Amino acid sequence: MISEAFIPAVASLGSVALALGLIIFYVSKKFHVEEDPTVVIINDILPGVNCGACGYPSCGQFAEVLVETKDSSMSCPVGGADLAAQLSATLGITMAEPQPITAVVLCQGDNDTARETAEYYGIQDCWAATQTYAGPKQCRYSCIGLGSCIAFCDFGAMHLENGLIVIDKDLCTGCGACIPSCPTGVLVMQEKKAERYYIACNSHDKGAATKKACDAGCIACQKCVKVCDDDAIVIENFLARIIQEKCTACGKCIEVCPTKVNCIRLEHDLKEVKQKKAS
Amino acid sequence: MESVNLKVSNAPFVRSKDSIESVMYNVALALAPATVISVYLFGMRALVLTVVSILSCMAFEWLMDKARNKPNSCLDGSALVTGLLLALNVPSNLPLWMVVTGAFIAIVASKHAFGGLGYNVFNPALVARVFLLISFPAAMTSWPVPFSVDMQTAASPLGILKTDGLEAALASFSIMDGFYGTMSGSLGETSVLALLAGAAWLWYKKYITMHIPLTLIGSVFLFTGLFYLIDPTTYASPTFHMVTGGLILGAFFMATDMVTSPLSVRGQLLFGLGCGLLTAIIRLWGGYPEGISFAILIMNSFVPLIDRWDLNDRKAKHTKKPETP
Amino acid sequence: MKTFKTGGIHPPESKFTENIPIEVMPVPAELAISLNQHLGKPAKPLVKVGSEVKKGQLIGDADGFISAKVHASTSGKVKAVKPHPHPGGQYAVTVFITADGQDEWEEGLNTEPVDWHGFSKEEIVGKIKDAGIVGMGGAGFPTNVKLSPPPDKQIDTIILNGAECEPFLTADHRLMLESPQEVIEGLEIIASLFGAQAKAYIGIESNKKDAIETLSRLASSKGIEVVSLKTKYPQGAEKQLINAITGRTIEQGELPFDKGCLVQNIGTAVAIYEAVCKNKPLVDRIVTVSGLEIGKPKNIRAVIGTSFRDVSRFCGDLKDSTNQIISGGPMMGKALFTLDVPVVKTTSGILFINNTGIEKARERTCIRCSKCVDVCPQGLAPWLLANVAQFREFDEIQLLGLANCTECGSCTYVCPSKRELVHWIKYAKALVNNRQKRKSA
Repeated sequence: MISEAFIPAVASLGSVALALGLIIFYVSKKFHVEEDPTVVIINDILPGVNCGACGYPSCGQFAEVLVETKDSSMSCPVGGADLAAQLSATLGITMAEPQPITAVVLCQGDNDTARETAEYYGIQDCWAATQTYAGPKQCRYSCIGLGSCIAFCDFGAMHLENGLIVIDKDLCTGCGACIPSCPTGVLVMQEKKAERYYIACNSHDKGAATKKACDAGCIACQKCVKVCDDDAIVIENFLARIIQEKCTACGKCIEVCPTKVNCIRLEHDLKEVKQKKAS
Repeated sequence: MESVNLKVSNAPFVRSKDSIESVMYNVALALAPATVISVYLFGMRALVLTVVSILSCMAFEWLMDKARNKPNSCLDGSALVTGLLLALNVPSNLPLWMVVTGAFIAIVASKHAFGGLGYNVFNPALVARVFLLISFPAAMTSWPVPFSVDMQTAASPLGILKTDGLEAALASFSIMDGFYGTMSGSLGETSVLALLAGAAWLWYKKYITMHIPLTLIGSVFLFTGLFYLIDPTTYASPTFHMVTGGLILGAFFMATDMVTSPLSVRGQLLFGLGCGLLTAIIRLWGGYPEGISFAILIMNSFVPLIDRWDLNDRKAKHTKKPETP
Repeated sequence: MKTFKTGGIHPPESKFTENIPIEVMPVPAELAISLNQHLGKPAKPLVKVGSEVKKGQLIGDADGFISAKVHASTSGKVKAVKPHPHPGGQYAVTVFITADGQDEWEEGLNTEPVDWHGFSKEEIVGKIKDAGIVGMGGAGFPTNVKLSPPPDKQIDTIILNGAECEPFLTADHRLMLESPQEVIEGLEIIASLFGAQAKAYIGIESNKKDAIETLSRLASSKGIEVVSLKTKYPQGAEKQLINAITGRTIEQGELPFDKGCLVQNIGTAVAIYEAVCKNKPLVDRIVTVSGLEIGKPKNIRAVIGTSFRDVSRFCGDLKDSTNQIISGGPMMGKALFTLDVPVVKTTSGILFINNTGIEKARERTCIRCSKCVDVCPQGLAPWLLANVAQFREFDEIQLLGLANCTECGSCTYVCPSKRELVHWIKYAKALVNNRQKRKSA
């Protein structure tokens, strides 16, 4: 009784499966694409996030072009030195070591330091906010603090903290995907160094206006310029800038900076600076 | 005056008073006459069933919002309308646990599984009705007779038409019975008069347009009329088809569901036509006596395709380069 | 009664000030004259801190083809030249003038009216350019540029826009009632530039019966047709007005002159009359000050550069419950974060309202009611544009007619899900522009 129904069912479905299997087999043979095994190997060691930092739309394309041209100047900023060594070993050429870079936020205007203008209730997105006015914060150069850039980061290196974007330096690979996503341009790429100073402010307003809008803004007071022994700080358009090549990271400028929250930031540890200031 | 108190956003700064709530509660209000008549016809049991259906739909809505970590939407009226429509679509003697099962299918399986209000492809109440009809065919097709004290049941006119032929069906009721609702059937589908009154209200308030209902009913009328002309002894008259089954309820209240119907006018006309033809085909030759639920669900699945028609036209219009003189 | 074909809405009219005559507001002690009062490049400042200026003196020169001149609107001393908030939403370089109280005109300006018939076309356009006239309806396109279309474009229809479809605003309405002669003469001057084949119309919404009557009486003998338009928003939008009056449709990528049309605002026409006949630069304009939160709603004639704070004092102060200040109308205006912004040439209204609760109407999911499609005067699908914008599909969104959106806000007004449809569209426009800029850079 069971077998009567069982056998035709198994047989019919089985034959359908067999026929389909044969078709798939045939198709895979017929349309087989010859792949360069080196491309496959290199594709495997690449980070595989398709962030586009190398200038190619995907890791696969980067691998193809690299194998074809053996261009040693091509580099993947995400993989860094380790990847460059691996690639060099695989391809038998000496790959240029990419300079490690990282995104930094040129703003410290969080909810405590930056003053608000009005209550913004529209779409919670930085670009949308700039369509009404320069965002909810008074300073029109500031980080708007609605976090449009977060979605652009493939590495989860960005998050909002008290109305300000914070970048996790360990996670940031320097791909640069976040840079065009910022309407006010407070995100920039900088060299990754162990110890390094930069001005964490983007305001080109005059000192008085900056001070009115934010406690952490550079007021272009010239104090840091005067104290710097290496001539590494210049004031351009009411905003100080540290010339990285000249800076010896002596830290004198931090001590003289008169703003409540230091507008000069030591790259690796902001908390230390704040504590120093408090004591 | 401190400027910090100011509210800033984008224009416009005036908004119409319409909201999801106003749309939903107006639909519920439009269904009120049919509900009242159902209680009059089928007694307190109908009221109990309606309340259970609505409350369980709202409870599932609340639970799903909690589970999906979404803002609470159980009072926005959409669950209320789903519950009400579900109740109006089942016989008044249906066991209450079946009603709750239906509510579960409507809210959880056919609404929130797709992403909640606005994303569902199929009308939740209809999915639940069809689910119940297929799962519990006996309970879903034993229709109580109006004003009966002891829950006496009878087949609906369409059911009699399917099983016993035209003569028996015509003998079981008069067309005016169908118009006023004094015949056996589900809670809300019997009284054409009450349904039309509700539909008129919705149309007056501009919450529905007449494109879908008129093409739907019109195509059923013409299609069944055609066969009535061919052979009036086996096929029922179009008037018979108008007043029996859930045609009016489906055409005005379920096919017009904003979420699951096409956006453009021509899409709506096509949708109504498809629903009407499928209903007529199922009624005339299908295995089930009534086809409106199946017809609407089948056409629901075509809505994305119909909308793509519109979308492609839009794209074609805007990619056309203006002529350079 | 004529109207445009597709879409449109009927927001509450709220024209509280339509029967209140225009009142001249005294020149305040300090003026902030923005150098960006028009579409295109901001004007170049011509004055330095400390220099004395006369009323009507040129203080900002047009910088490039699409730009406009800016004049001092009272006599006094330049206090500062610095960036300052602008009612359009950005910061702009602004000339601050401390008034000397004399309000003294520069030599040769604001003279007795002369007959304009003797002037050549070049002279008329030159006078308009020198007067710094821009479109006063809102966009602020330099008028002299608009009046000089490419020679291959034949203009056969000139429309004066008196629709004033925005709720609250009555500035153009009052101007039509109080200076009908100037309106007509202004229109005649414009029409004279395009020869005899150009037919002139004045389009007025039917809720301004008195204006239609007044202008019809004067216009009939001059071959100008006054068209009564259905009261429907956005009847006064350029494309919709052309469609209503001529039946022509401006397609994507076209400008009105491609269809032989030219639209000017009522205020602009009066300014043109004053510039040509009286040699008066554009230094003041009619502003509707309205809303439930201002003591005395009024139509005022305010000089350019008057701060909103001074305006609010002149109109009987604000109530404490004010929480939204809007420059322009409620449908397309801008919400301001401060009262310290100046009246500019495009400020048609200042509204003080209490919009408590609007921020609480959170965006819900689209319920596909298709109301936005029904009301869109440009025949777009706003819900679709907003969805695509939300997912940042910027190639797709251009195919759906993003460039055709006039940002009238009708879709956002009707949406029962309270979606910020037009805001999403503006957001997409900003990002598309940004991307194009980056690509070309």
